Amino acid sequence: TILNCSCCELRKYIFPYFLVTGPEFRNIRVGVGHRLDAFSSGVLVLGVGNGNKTLNDLYRTRVTRDYTLEGEFGTATHDFTHSGGVMERSTYDHITQDKLERVLAMLEGANQKALLMYSNVDMRSQEAYEMAVQGLLGPEGKSAPILTGLRCIHFQPPNFILEVQCLNETQKYLRKLVHEIGLELRSTAVCKGIRRTRDGLFTLQDALTHHYWTAADITQAIRQYHSSKKHRKRSQSPAKKPALKTSEDVTAAQQNKANEEAAVGTIKKLVAETSS
Amino acid sequence: MAFPCVRPCPRHVSAGLQVCGYATLSKASRPQEKSSAGPVFQYVGQNKKPTHKVFVWGFSFTGALGIPSFVVPDNGRKKPRKYQLTPYRLETAAQISSAACGYGFSLIASSTKDTSKLWGMGLNKDSQLGFQRTQHSRHQSYDYVLEPSPVALPLVKPLQTRVLQVACGRAHSLVLTDRAGVFSMGNNSYGQCGRRIVEDEVYSGSHIIHKIEGFSSRVVQVACGQDHSLFLTETGKVLACGWGADGQTGLGHHNISSTPVEVGGDLSGVEVQQISTYGDCSLAVSRDGQLFGWGNSEYRQLASVTEATQISSPRHLPLKGCGKVVQAACGGSQVAVLNDKGEVFVWGYGILGKGPNLSESSTPEMIPSTLFGRSEFNPSVAVTRIRCGLSHFAAVTDRGELFVWGKNVRGCLGIGKRDDQYFPWRVTVPGQVVDVACGVDHMVALAKSLL
Repeated sequence: TILNCSCCELRKYIFPYFLVTGPEFRNIRVGVGHRLDAFSSGVLVLGVGNGNKTLNDLYRTRVTRDYTLEGEFGTATHDFTHSGGVMERSTYDHITQDKLERVLAMLEGANQKALLMYSNVDMRSQEAYEMAVQGLLGPEGKSAPILTGLRCIHFQPPNFILEVQCLNETQKYLRKLVHEIGLELRSTAVCKGIRRTRDGLFTLQDALTHHYWTAADITQAIRQYHSSKKHRKRSQSPAKKPALKTSEDVTAAQQNKANEEAAVGTIKKLVAETSS
Repeated sequence: MAFPCVRPCPRHVSAGLQVCGYATLSKASRPQEKSSAGPVFQYVGQNKKPTHKVFVWGFSFTGALGIPSFVVPDNGRKKPRKYQLTPYRLETAAQISSAACGYGFSLIASSTKDTSKLWGMGLNKDSQLGFQRTQHSRHQSYDYVLEPSPVALPLVKPLQTRVLQVACGRAHSLVLTDRAGVFSMGNNSYGQCGRRIVEDEVYSGSHIIHKIEGFSSRVVQVACGQDHSLFLTETGKVLACGWGADGQTGLGHHNISSTPVEVGGDLSGVEVQQISTYGDCSLAVSRDGQLFGWGNSEYRQLASVTEATQISSPRHLPLKGCGKVVQAACGGSQVAVLNDKGEVFVWGYGILGKGPNLSESSTPEMIPSTLFGRSEFNPSVAVTRIRCGLSHFAAVTDRGELFVWGKNVRGCLGIGKRDDQYFPWRVTVPGQVVDVACGVDHMVALAKSLL
């Protein structure tokens, strides 16, 4: 049986035997990367087949994630979203961008301090100082959610958009963050939307939308990635191995290794974008 | 989308500015209601100004923190709190604009024209807080003042004078006013109060608050060292008095001086914009960004110009790579300067702020700005103020954050633990820090609320 029209094209190149019938791929294991809940949208990393082993490394290394939070002043709801039950409404005409920046600076300061506190290094050592200067201090493994960067990219009362860079977070925490920013400004706020723009090294640029979750598109995406990698390697100096300094580089190396293991025709990774 | 209505709120809501409370809301999620149901609360009006607050922390048994319940608990169940390791709010009657910490005592001043403009708390054995009349006898003065008590300055026109700045040394204090000059009180055994030394004077319970004479022009800044005093006039001249055994008076000799005398040396003809001292070393910053120092150099504070352990006359300190200096802060054995780009340079002896390996340096070492919060998200964070206690540093950034580092003497850093801190660490103060005063074992911070 033919799955869909695109399969015919695949058959021409991969299955030379026209007598083969049946579904093209069977029993594919798909694993999920960092959680993204139903309210949010953005990059979601999925591992397919042998790529599930790489997922374990993704969990273990310390990667930060970028989000765009859309908020609105004036209401407080029971689940911190604009579609929840309204608990309270308040005025917001006293809020200016300057006051919002001050509150964000205060939150950033508290989170920077949390970064230092959760790291397991002895603060009295020279090594702690060196790491603090380079910004490498941070929690290993599970910890409370910490924001490593926070700024406001759009402000038009009652709406505002924040860009957040965080570790170990959940989307509910981010919605609560919007609510707390409203409280700090002596008003109330709800979160209208959360969009993950980056998860570790995976950005929106390479992501596939729901429409493209088919075998053909995925194999094409992988082929494109491999060829662009070759272009990048040629433009860089030859035989240059990235020094494994940051944890993000470790993920890249793992990812490259995992892809190189792929046999022709086996799907290695599937990057998808969910829409809310 | 729910939009809050801009119709006039009921009067009791807007005038009261109180939280009305959640009356009948239940946890069950209702379908999203369009605007008109329910009141709109107004917590803050458009013209709200930030509130100013004072925070204190450190060693409390001298009363220097100004909270009596730490020393003498209110009820029998509580225990006395010897070390306050995190910032604690000090309630004050007026808005405090200037604070200073001495050796076991503090002075806070407000720039108001009311009768009470200056309060003191802590050790008062040398009357460094003036005469504090006891409850039982009007001839006796308290040796320890546990809460901020008004200091009565002998002003000619008390309702028209403002206090601009206060400074505290080991056992004496200086008060600078806008039209009545400088007042000094406390121990005068070395002439640090700027008046004639009286042999065998009993300082405890003394009523003397002396108005210092002998200034050719108006004084704009005062600084107290351990047992000496420095004054800066508006013409940029520096005057000094007090103990000079280490040459900290900068008058060219190692004797005591009991009246303010103009300091010469490399400072003659130079317009100074800031002076700083806390121990036995003194520094001055000129208007064009040059640094001058004199006094004790046992800890290599002045090693850029001399190998001697003391200099009794100001010398220009050539600092390589520091740029234009705008502020200097002098501690007991260490020195810090701030340049116009907001970078901090430290040298001297002790915990300097670059990890435990750097314990002494005779040349300025820059503390990386990433430790003060500079990152890709905020590339332009700069330090605006630096202060030195006896063995620790404090820095305030332009975002209102306070960083401290150094020896944690009896919890004076305020970081929640009693360990020494080898690199700048944030102190969690509820609000934006405006200014900070460092003492030997306690600190006072002036902050304003975010909104």
